[in-house]
Amino acid sequence: MSLGSWLELIASGLITGGVYALVGLGLNLQYGLMRILNIAHGEFLMVGAFLTWMATTSFGVSPLLMVPVSFAVLMAVGMLVHRLTFRRLAATSPNLDIFEARGLMVAFGLMFLVQNFADAVWGGDLRGYDYLTEPVHIGGSQFAANKLLLLALSLSFSIALIVMLRLTLLGKGVRALMQSPTGAQLVGIDTARLHPLMFGVGLGLSGVAGSLLSMAYTVSPSMGEPYTVTALIVITLGGFGNMGGALAGGLALGVIEALGMHFTNPSLKALLSYAVFIGVLLWKPNGLFNKRT
Amino acid sequence: MSQHNPLTAGPGGLRRRSVVQALAAGAASVGFPAIAQAAPVRVGYAISRTGPATPGAQTSQEPNFLMWAEQQNAAGGLNVKGVKRPIELISSDDRSDIETCVRSYEKLMGSDKVDLILPPWGSGANFAVAPLANRFGYPMLAPTALSRRLVEMKLPYFFLMLQQPKPMCEALVDMFKANGVKTVAVIYTDELFGLENYAAFKVALASSGMTMVEDKSFPTGSKDLSPVLRSIKDKNPDAFVGFTYPADTVLASRQSKEIGFNPKFFYASVGTAFPFYRATLTPAGVEGVIGMGSWNPKTSPGAKAYFDAHVKSQKKEPDRWASGACWASLEILTAAVARVGLDRKAIRDFVAGNEHDTILGKIKFAGSENVGTPGTVGQWQKGEFEVVWPQSRATAPLVTQKPAWA
Amino acid sequence: MLLDRRLLGRDVLVLFALAGWALAVPHYGSEFVVSMALTCLMYVALATSWTLFCGTTRYLSLATAAFFGIGAYVSALFIETWGWFGVIAGGAGVAALVAVLMGSAVLHLRGTYFAVLTFGMTELIRHAIAYWEKQVTGTVGRVLTVVPERDTVYLTVLAIALLSVAVSIVVRRTRFGLGLMGIGADEQRAQTLGVNTRLVKIGGFALTAAFAGAVGAAMSVRWTYIDPTTVFNPFIGFQTVLIALIGGVATLWGPLIAAVVFSLLAETLRLQAPQLYLMTLGLLLILSVLYLPEGLASLRWSTLRQWRDDTRAWWKALRAGKAGKSTRKAAGA
Repeated sequence: MSLGSWLELIASGLITGGVYALVGLGLNLQYGLMRILNIAHGEFLMVGAFLTWMATTSFGVSPLLMVPVSFAVLMAVGMLVHRLTFRRLAATSPNLDIFEARGLMVAFGLMFLVQNFADAVWGGDLRGYDYLTEPVHIGGSQFAANKLLLLALSLSFSIALIVMLRLTLLGKGVRALMQSPTGAQLVGIDTARLHPLMFGVGLGLSGVAGSLLSMAYTVSPSMGEPYTVTALIVITLGGFGNMGGALAGGLALGVIEALGMHFTNPSLKALLSYAVFIGVLLWKPNGLFNKRT
Repeated sequence: MSQHNPLTAGPGGLRRRSVVQALAAGAASVGFPAIAQAAPVRVGYAISRTGPATPGAQTSQEPNFLMWAEQQNAAGGLNVKGVKRPIELISSDDRSDIETCVRSYEKLMGSDKVDLILPPWGSGANFAVAPLANRFGYPMLAPTALSRRLVEMKLPYFFLMLQQPKPMCEALVDMFKANGVKTVAVIYTDELFGLENYAAFKVALASSGMTMVEDKSFPTGSKDLSPVLRSIKDKNPDAFVGFTYPADTVLASRQSKEIGFNPKFFYASVGTAFPFYRATLTPAGVEGVIGMGSWNPKTSPGAKAYFDAHVKSQKKEPDRWASGACWASLEILTAAVARVGLDRKAIRDFVAGNEHDTILGKIKFAGSENVGTPGTVGQWQKGEFEVVWPQSRATAPLVTQKPAWA
Repeated sequence: MLLDRRLLGRDVLVLFALAGWALAVPHYGSEFVVSMALTCLMYVALATSWTLFCGTTRYLSLATAAFFGIGAYVSALFIETWGWFGVIAGGAGVAALVAVLMGSAVLHLRGTYFAVLTFGMTELIRHAIAYWEKQVTGTVGRVLTVVPERDTVYLTVLAIALLSVAVSIVVRRTRFGLGLMGIGADEQRAQTLGVNTRLVKIGGFALTAAFAGAVGAAMSVRWTYIDPTTVFNPFIGFQTVLIALIGGVATLWGPLIAAVVFSLLAETLRLQAPQLYLMTLGLLLILSVLYLPEGLASLRWSTLRQWRDDTRAWWKALRAGKAGKSTRKAAGA
């Protein structure tokens, strides 16, 4: 295969990887900070996609405008969900293990609730719309404009999150909480406000991912689940709580999948993903990018 | 003027009027109770109204079922051995899920005990339901099932209307060979349909002198086929063959346009013959694309009449492949019921043992397989899906170089 | 307390009563009722055997669908050669074997890791089998050619369900069962006290898998046609977990009661309004985890009184808050 084709292949892997990273970062924020393994994450991605689709096809709003709108809406939803469910769990669970287990169960319930709600409201048919489908020529390769936009925006949001966590006071507070919950609280960092906020941000990112995806792919109520699984794989690869690792892991996963599809079959994609997932969990449970073993 | 009125003038007139009235009353008492007493013919089926199989089912199959019931009931009902009885359709949505489909048919045949059943959409669903229908003794004429395995199961109550993978792939290979194609790239869906056609195609290709430069499978409903299409584009084959379902067909076409992949021949199996394909990609966009199709309004006067009736009744065009086969299956079923009534074994024997006249021509079954219709290839030309192979059935000549995607 | 003879007596008596009632169903019930009862029994078996291991040790396994599917495939592949009882035993055996392998690899991880891993393994097995079928045998699904009588299937599933409950009753009173509960309470301590935690865990996991495999083997004939998506459907696993959690994982009868309730709900809503059923399930799960974490079986009068008192207090606080605001406003104005 020519060099141009290789570049095209890797580039398309990066495009999918960018979205994976975005979804993974959101999940990582929730798990790393609050030990909430939100397996309903993908369902909120789907909601973001449907909102964007509805706005674009029924009201003619530009999908680009819907990106920040999805973020805001899903962030509000996230804060509400946290207040209604996880906050009570945190208060009533005797220890962290039990909290995690119960959190997982609540997330399960949310997954059923949200996915079937969407199914009932919008129906199971595949939906989509066309946005920026004209091809763009870069070098000798050809890409659809919307795919390039996808990559640009997902990378921007991911980097923005990482920068926020590193440089702002809020971000430092979050990282402190992740490192040592008691210590952080001792120095006055307000858990009660930070947790719902960060949970909201996590879901907001998921909504953004959904919004971006709706521009280039079809939308359906079951589209979220594969992304939840992928997000799990991403945070496993990168290490729980490791933001940079999640970004790298997401992009890497996208490229691995693209290469895998090239050398084998797209049918093997799912098999490969799960094999990678289990392999990493068994061999390096702290992620590929964490220094501790 | 009263003396000219034959009915009221004179004593003879009165008697005539009362005789006419008496006759009318008599006819009514014979006619009306007969219609009032006729129990409906209960016809059950499960079909995809939501989920990935919806475009296929709602283009090729369910509209035909609805139109059939409508037409028959407008004419007084289905002719059951001389007695006209209204058709009552008992249907449900199988949500493109095979398990739901099987359970629905179990209920229809086992508990509800309907008179007749109509088949679900797709090779996979038919593969699951056919043995069940056979066990319960319900004949099933399936217009959207393509599988050698189904034929091999030798189910006496199951009939496949469509041309099977072998004749369809052989027709395609013959057409390619006759037009100087040397290299082919294939992608196929993970469903039974994709697997079987790929296998049949490989066999047909083996003795043709053409080479397969790439073959990849993919899960149906994939979101992204561009990596696969890119590597195929790189190999520059003369022909691209996709054994794909409607959603995949649209995706493959769109993404080929996106990456600039434009081989001389672009073939996608299912969905290409659908009006929805032409609508989604625009008539200019589909020009030159080839796929599985076996008829259009030009095929016969009966076909044109069917086409017009479908547009009027269902407010949309039928597709140029399975829709025709579906209507043909209903024509056969109607003829069977008219001749032998609702005895399901007798219906089965009638279908199996006779040659039938349908809008697709003569249809006859060898076991489960329809051996009356040969393998065919269709092509979009100026907004109509023409039959281009074999020459004997062609409605237009083949256009040998696909124009660039529009 | 568990060794109390009276409790044992009570458990066994209830078991016999249920068995008797269940046996009567095929004779008096319609096709539909038998079908519902069958699903009930299936989930009774699955939930009870799941609770046996996961309820006691607190290792949340999501691998039920994997074992169920394995059993179903054993049935589809070997029913012609091994016969009915052969495939049931075979299903249980192969599933248990896979559980031992899986368990040896992953049972050293705890909590969410374990849950997520078992889920991942289920999907891995599903995709692996789908791929194998596609590439090697060239099929997507399989048709079951030999279908036993409806009553045979019913009686078999009934037997499996009764066995799972009986085993639960017995195991709780053995050292093995106590070992399981010890692991659930505090694993490290159990180890220092001499329990071979590794063996006990693998054993419990294998036991749970054997039942799921047997049930899968029996139920596959009901479907006539199986494919990886249907029999390895993760929903089977989710529903089992849901039922066990809502019923009460620390109890014996909780999962059974919940199984009956949910399978009734499922069958009635399944073909008409499946989304409603699933949404209800999700909501119920959330509510039960939040407000009734020990499950339905832990529901007592005191719990209801507590809820009533909580609601009253909340309502009072709300009104006091409003009154406070209005008095402050009046004072301010």
